[in-house]
Amino acid sequence: MEEDLPYNVQLVTQLEGHDDRAWHVAWNPARPILASCSADKTVRLYNYRSTTDPDTATAPLEFSLNTTIPTGHAKTVRAVAWSPSGKTLATASFDSNIGIWAQDEDDEEGGGPQGEWECMSLLEGHETECKSIAYSSSGTLLASCSRDKTVWVWEVHPDSDFECMGVLMEHTQDVKCVAWHPHEEVRSILASASYDDTIKLYVDDPSEDWFCFTTLTGHTSTVWSLVFSPDGRYLASGSDDLTIRIWERVQEHRWECVSVLEGHDRSIYSVSWSRGKGEGHLGWLASTGGDGLILVWKISAVPTESGRDKLSHKIISRFPAAHGVSDVNSIVWCPRQGMEDVFATAGDDGAVKVWKIAQSST
Amino acid sequence: MSGEVFNPNPTVFAPTKASRVAAFAKRNSLWLDDADHEHEEEDESNEPEQIDQDEIFELIRSISDPEHRSMTLEQLAVVSAPQITFDSQVPDRLTVEFTPTVPHCGMSTFIGLSIRVRLLRSLPQRFKVDVRVKPGSHQSEHALNKQLNDKERVAAALENPALVEVLEQCLSTAGRHDHDHSV
Repeated sequence: MEEDLPYNVQLVTQLEGHDDRAWHVAWNPARPILASCSADKTVRLYNYRSTTDPDTATAPLEFSLNTTIPTGHAKTVRAVAWSPSGKTLATASFDSNIGIWAQDEDDEEGGGPQGEWECMSLLEGHETECKSIAYSSSGTLLASCSRDKTVWVWEVHPDSDFECMGVLMEHTQDVKCVAWHPHEEVRSILASASYDDTIKLYVDDPSEDWFCFTTLTGHTSTVWSLVFSPDGRYLASGSDDLTIRIWERVQEHRWECVSVLEGHDRSIYSVSWSRGKGEGHLGWLASTGGDGLILVWKISAVPTESGRDKLSHKIISRFPAAHGVSDVNSIVWCPRQGMEDVFATAGDDGAVKVWKIAQSST
Repeated sequence: MSGEVFNPNPTVFAPTKASRVAAFAKRNSLWLDDADHEHEEEDESNEPEQIDQDEIFELIRSISDPEHRSMTLEQLAVVSAPQITFDSQVPDRLTVEFTPTVPHCGMSTFIGLSIRVRLLRSLPQRFKVDVRVKPGSHQSEHALNKQLNDKERVAAALENPALVEVLEQCLSTAGRHDHDHSV
């Protein structure tokens, strides 16, 4: 058996239905909906609810398919992102376009938005495959990135109207991932990761131009995935060099690598950082990739005499072959309150799986 | 494909003799050209099949060279059985190394992609394949290796109809074994 770890990973449900590789999953932050996207060009939306079982006093989650959106994208749908309100869904496609989806409000039966998901807007601009998209924490900005080496920042206006605020041409190769800092400060921070092995951080200049204020180097191959810590002090990056690096904000515009996490033996495609359960730590970092292994790390800050915290990391759970023999492309913690121990994965087998980590009984 | 000629006069090598069509390759070698075998798979036990170097080689030796379409990768010594290696720890992981005929070969990405796609279509899913150029054999070795092993780039390339058309032509010879009996 595996070595004794304080938590074990339990499968909640396996959601089949995509006809091809599933690339990405996204939890609606406001409503009980999970979205997944695939090379089959569709987005699948699942509803879930927790059903209290009086006998065991547990509340298992039940998932059911809400709808399949054909999207109309001509190629793979690589990524999906929800706006913070949960009302809008964005899709990033290899056809280079971004779709903006919302529910038809006309249908008033049943109370609340029940209508079909419709394409409200199609954002064109990237020249080649769009690979990642992300809404800022306030929902007023959307970032996208592409193999065309650019990062675009879009301002979100009412009625699904978008205005391009900047095209950032800092990377020398494909941009694989974009992520926003979780706290909307006076100036929001955007991060991008690239095939050029670097991470770049940007802020909004007072003169309304976006600029890159630092480049984080250290990874020795493609950086696939980025996530900020829930408290915003750290940034984690997953790479083809088989490591996860954690970068700390040491000054307003200075970030330094403070930890290198090792444990995967194929490309790391996805990292996700949640608050986790319990106190006294900085949350749980989950990672996965081409080795099909799920690792969950507990990240803590240990005070030192110098006054500066030292970051510590410990694997608290591991689950190999999460999608059988297939690569796992995405891992995402559920952002909803009370579900901090739940995450979803998407794999090359076309399946989406929902998991829960629970304290080991021993 | 551009009209540029990278190697106008390649050296041609004789194929290795007595190639055997592996039982495995016959069964799985492509729904593309072996559709009549498809029902046999269901009779298989759940035992994972062992696959060796020669069987992998058998799958890729007859892929056509994109620049010299009448010749195979084997005839141009781009691929060979000894260049296929298995991970000693994880036998389902293998590396296929290939040797471009000239160090400036602009077709190398395409050749690597054709090898990758052939194996993707022919091997059971449990196999994880790395495709690399032989060290020192190409001026852009690092860039080539990186590109060939980036699954997102490979996936996007396979949604490019113009590229796939040429790819299918090069792969259309991959299941043939004409030379098997001629030696």
